[in-house]
Amino acid sequence: MLKRFRLEEPESAAEVSELLGRFGDSAKIYAGGTELLLAMKEGLVQYERLINVKKLKGLSEVSGENGTIKIGALCTHHQLENSSLLQQKLPSLVKLEQNVANVRVRQAGSIGGNLCFAEPHADPGTLLMALGAKLVAEKISGKREITAEDFFVDAYETSLAADELLTGIRVPTPGANSRSAYLKFGYLERPSVGVAIALTLDGETVNNVKIAVGCAGPAPRRVAEAEALLNGKSKDEAVRLLPQAGAIAGRASEAISDLHGAQDYKEHIVGVLLKRAFNSIVS
Amino acid sequence: MQFEKQVEILAPREKVWKFIWDIDRFIACVPGCKDAKTVEDGKRYTATMVEKVGPFKVEFPTTIDVLEREELSHIKAQASGADNKIGSRMKIALDVNLREQDNKTVVSFVAGVDILGKLAALGHGIIKRKADQVLDEFAQAVKTTLEGDQ
Repeated sequence: MLKRFRLEEPESAAEVSELLGRFGDSAKIYAGGTELLLAMKEGLVQYERLINVKKLKGLSEVSGENGTIKIGALCTHHQLENSSLLQQKLPSLVKLEQNVANVRVRQAGSIGGNLCFAEPHADPGTLLMALGAKLVAEKISGKREITAEDFFVDAYETSLAADELLTGIRVPTPGANSRSAYLKFGYLERPSVGVAIALTLDGETVNNVKIAVGCAGPAPRRVAEAEALLNGKSKDEAVRLLPQAGAIAGRASEAISDLHGAQDYKEHIVGVLLKRAFNSIVS
Repeated sequence: MQFEKQVEILAPREKVWKFIWDIDRFIACVPGCKDAKTVEDGKRYTATMVEKVGPFKVEFPTTIDVLEREELSHIKAQASGADNKIGSRMKIALDVNLREQDNKTVVSFVAGVDILGKLAALGHGIIKRKADQVLDEFAQAVKTTLEGDQ
């Protein structure tokens, strides 16, 4: 049963920030509500105020300019899977969004809410990390960009300040040689393991490799050591090194044993998914 | 969930033992523990355990019962509490052993932690990780406090 709360309906990011600053822990931002309202109904969290941000203007669009794809934090998963710009420029993100949770969640849930709730088994953060995305945080005193790596701190914890709100995501527009993929595996509704890889293929050489793993541990993580192993290698050499890169990524995932699988099982799956993801974009 | 920890403290066993029973100083080393009170000296204590994972906060008013006590070497205790707001219960069975080694005291403890109720919805893995962090911080705080007394 949802307990009574007061609904605030600010019209600007500055107003949201002011409300967050004024009411502190007793207030929470409400966007799609697909995670928050469930937790509130379960009685796991209680807030005196919900700050409805759905009426903020300009945060529900996807646009591209000056080599950057801008995604408004209020864009729903459904919007993103149907965005023609993303279909053209970031098909890996479109594919990810097509497979987020279920159709009800995709209709109501927003990309911003997904990132801010930082549920460990969420998909988007992992791919955004590999895509080199930056997240735009705003508060009364200004705006800043946070890399996806720095955004995720721990399970359910981000680096947003108490009076900051996420307003958008900036993804560098991939070049002609850029490739990316996100693969996940799970037998429950939420994935056990998610692996993302992005790279550029210059002839026979793989460059700018970025690898991120998520869902297995408390938060998505970049795996610089595995990236360095594959970077600058020929396709064939990289394929030979994939088991080693997979093992490194598995350890880096900080996998936790739980109902989604044991730690060693998840680490193994990281390796399997990395190999499949790499082959899907390089072969 | 079973946890086993060991901490080596550069202090004599008598001093470590005395510290354990100095409830105010001891509780100050338990992360998120406050309002410790002695109900019956050496036997029963109460305290409030406050923990947080992201937006999820729990507050367990906890009763700690000392079940066994062997001077300078062993303590068996049980702690239990309930957060009625969230509808969750916590039970900890604790075995603490002290032994001397060279000029150090080795404190080893085994904690069986059970979390029941809605909090379990957060996932076993997340709770286990949090409990592990709390125990590590506790062990480190005990070491720092006692060694700082030198």
